[in-house]
Amino acid sequence: MSERDASGPETADTAADADGRLTRPAEDRPPYVESTIIMTTVRVIAPFVLTLGVFVMFHGASSAGGGFQGGVIAATTVVMLGFAFGIEPIAARLRNYHLAGLVLSGLGAFLLVGFGGYLLGGTFLQVPAYEALVHHGSKYSIEVVEIGIGVIVAGVITGLFFLLGTGVDTAREATEPGSEDG
Amino acid sequence: MTPVEYLAAALVIGGVFFGFVATVGLLRLPDLYSRLHAASKSDTLGSVLAIAGTAAALGLTTESMKMLFLVLFLFLTSPTAAHAIARAGKEQEVDPVGEEAAWRDEDGGEAR
Repeated sequence: MSERDASGPETADTAADADGRLTRPAEDRPPYVESTIIMTTVRVIAPFVLTLGVFVMFHGASSAGGGFQGGVIAATTVVMLGFAFGIEPIAARLRNYHLAGLVLSGLGAFLLVGFGGYLLGGTFLQVPAYEALVHHGSKYSIEVVEIGIGVIVAGVITGLFFLLGTGVDTAREATEPGSEDG
Repeated sequence: MTPVEYLAAALVIGGVFFGFVATVGLLRLPDLYSRLHAASKSDTLGSVLAIAGTAAALGLTTESMKMLFLVLFLFLTSPTAAHAIARAGKEQEVDPVGEEAAWRDEDGGEAR
């Protein structure tokens, strides 16, 4: 019934772990048993969950929801993929700088909107000033802020999940040169 | 009350009943697998019935369509989650109460 030797989706061979991955080499990982039921369900559900997350992110400015909730829902997609296909094979596809780039781009979007208020003659995050630039400018700028928050939350949740789920000894990696982000 | 409201009330009461059954099973049954059995089956049915009752009360609106999608996804995800929990329990060699690890012998004792 259970194929214990199933090695999961084939990943690129992790020769060196100095390139910022939260995974061990494939031969060091504990055996992972696939389940057809879970994989099939996740394949069906995952696009809907990601769509819902983005929807909640976009909708947050005008109704219930928002960047935090939408980001968590979007990150749930990655968590589900990890449960279905094994956490480390999924984590092997993500470098640390992918997640750091995600978080930093969200922060950048927030700061851009925030300091853009100064450029338009207002104060920090004074979104009504954007009305002079675009029609419904305050609405759109709030949307950008919400998406920025959502991207930050999704990146942080994904990173935390991989840190906890892979069980990689990060204390060992921290002593190695060239792995400064986490 | 209109017939639709009677239907909605009956569905919600049925949902409450199955939710109660799930709670009693979760509290009273002895081990992981039987508790999972009680919680997953009757809790899925209970919440689906309650949501269906709400959808019936709302009539043909956008909200009731959302409720129908909720029912669909609950029927997809809830049994899968129960399956995943049961698999994880077996992987971690959580023994059922009663027949002492009878199911593990047929596996050839190859756990871990």
